[in-house]
Amino acid sequence: MNRFWSLVFLLVPVLGVATFVVAPYYHHWFPRDISEHGRVIDQLFMFILWLTGVVFIATEGALFYFMWKYNASNNREPVKFSHGSHTLEVVWTILPTVTLLFIAIYQMNAWADAKMRKPDVPITAEITGRQFNWDVRYPGADGELYTPDDVFRYDGMIHLPAHEEVLLLIKSSDVLHSFFLPNLRMKQDVVPGMGQNMWFKAKDTGEFDIVCAELCGWGHYKMKGRVTFESRVDYNAWLQRMYDEQEAKTVAMTPEE
Amino acid sequence: MMTQRFHAICWSLLAVFAAALAGCVEAESEPPKFRLNMTQVTANQLVPAHQQAIADILDAMFGTPDKPFALPETGLDLRKLKMAAGPVWSDQAGGKHGLYRRHCAHCHGISGAGDGPTAMIVNPYPRDYRPGVYKFKSTFNPNEPTDEDLHHTLMDGVPGTAMPAFSVLPPDEVAALLEYVKYLSMRGQMESLLVEFIVNNLDYDPVTEKGSPLDLVNDPDQREEVMALLADDVVAKWQAEGQVVVVPDESAIPPNDRNAAELAASVKAGNVLFYGTKANCVKCHGPTGLGDGQQDDYDIWSKADRQFMLDTDALADSIKTDTASLAELDGEAWDAANAELDAKKRALVERREVAAGLLPPRNAIPRNLRTNMFRGGRRPLDIYRRIHQGIAGTPMPAGGPAVPGAQGTLTEQEMWQIVDYIRSLPFEPASQPQERPLNSEAVVY
Repeated sequence: MNRFWSLVFLLVPVLGVATFVVAPYYHHWFPRDISEHGRVIDQLFMFILWLTGVVFIATEGALFYFMWKYNASNNREPVKFSHGSHTLEVVWTILPTVTLLFIAIYQMNAWADAKMRKPDVPITAEITGRQFNWDVRYPGADGELYTPDDVFRYDGMIHLPAHEEVLLLIKSSDVLHSFFLPNLRMKQDVVPGMGQNMWFKAKDTGEFDIVCAELCGWGHYKMKGRVTFESRVDYNAWLQRMYDEQEAKTVAMTPEE
Repeated sequence: MMTQRFHAICWSLLAVFAAALAGCVEAESEPPKFRLNMTQVTANQLVPAHQQAIADILDAMFGTPDKPFALPETGLDLRKLKMAAGPVWSDQAGGKHGLYRRHCAHCHGISGAGDGPTAMIVNPYPRDYRPGVYKFKSTFNPNEPTDEDLHHTLMDGVPGTAMPAFSVLPPDEVAALLEYVKYLSMRGQMESLLVEFIVNNLDYDPVTEKGSPLDLVNDPDQREEVMALLADDVVAKWQAEGQVVVVPDESAIPPNDRNAAELAASVKAGNVLFYGTKANCVKCHGPTGLGDGQQDDYDIWSKADRQFMLDTDALADSIKTDTASLAELDGEAWDAANAELDAKKRALVERREVAAGLLPPRNAIPRNLRTNMFRGGRRPLDIYRRIHQGIAGTPMPAGGPAVPGAQGTLTEQEMWQIVDYIRSLPFEPASQPQERPLNSEAVVY
């Protein structure tokens, strides 16, 4: 029982590290990255994870060592306190400062690419968060939003072209939402009254998840959707099909799924 | 000392957890029940014996929320119902159970009455399935929607409301939910028919136990009549043969290759109809099309609740006048009047209890036609059908014939002209997002 508590606290770093080591084997790790810029973001994550991981293990190791060594039942001598080591204080102030500054500067370019350097392309789709759905409006054949040939979709199944720069306009019709594309490493808060932009380039086709990443009400969990990336040709064909469906005037023209 | 206190804290925390856990287990042990439509039951002054009889018959016909049942003649797929009903859980293979409670019940309620816990915080209120009336459908106004109509609502949700799309669910789960919605509607319709049956056909007095009670087990004639009600007045309405889909007349459908001038002429004609007395859209949708015309009407769901509340208030008033006039009576007349007054007071208590549980009635606000949001679908065909048959349950009237082949208020051509006008409204300059004023600076976020 003597050193029981120091051993219990040793479980914190051991289990903490074990979680990270084991997680990828159980596929509790990053979803597949299909974006061009995602590599940079994942690298930044891994860099910070390793950095903090090493510091974490060292700190926890030191904590455990002191708890073990200076256990009250094995140490009868009174405690000695030391005060005011100028050198030590300077070192442990400067080291974290330099590290944090380095991270801040090192990630700047990635941040600017994701949030500031908006590409000069027309808007691919307008996405509106509504409690509890993602409503999408595509510019039709004329490539311009807010014209009569716009295509509206409410089924939460967004289609986007792959292999090219996509620019989204993201809005909210009620409360705060957050449009999150895990496979593109992209997340954008949606603020009522503000138009937000999001841009990325998907390097693969396929169907991926959309989730709402901001607790937006009791139906938050319902704001799931799927995004399908397809080649420009397929995308155009799909958009045309959706437009034709939207223009249906006769029963025959509306094949039900 | 410290250790003792520490242990005490640990034990008390453990006790709290254990209590919470026990609470959860206990909460699960009582299965949810279908509730009778108390507005209907109370308004028709059904005695408890009759209420129980209705509940028993419905249980026998449709089962419970945990164990649904469907008579073969309903045509409902019991396998699908079982998939949708019951408590929420997932099996080891990842199969989802209790779909209705997982996705729908928090708004639409266990009984499908549109009275789930989140119902009061959404506008418009969630649909009450029990009358079987649905707004967005392809059929004639009094007809029930087709499976395809319900499927469309499930897949696309209802834009502009809190009803989301359920397109991410696997098709079999959507099909199960669709079946369950129909099941709740049929059950609700059957309930109304049973109430009607008792009110119209039974002379049973539970106090004296005279007359014939509602007892399908011992009365084969009653049983036959009720089963006929189920077959003719419920099930038949949900089968394709009982539903007439609105199909536009091919000859009047405007062609797809109209030029700008032709389209503009049609829009102009639609505009004239919109403001004219024949179609009279302007009455409700307003001179601006913003839905700012007549806004003080109610849809049938709110109207029923509101009528119940008004009748309750009227009863309270009549109790007041009766109490005042009681003073002028004496002897036997007083006894009789007093007994009547007591009965009214008991009825008032019951009614107030029911009224307290109702959602506050809201006005049916006509659609703002400039927002480009069409709840029942934006295809010309959808808008045509809205104009042709109106919107069931709402003040929106039908412009087309009430029954197939009859004469409608509007001709096919006129309806298509209104469709063109409605579809042009969101793109009029007044409806478009405003440009930033020239002398202002763009704000960069």
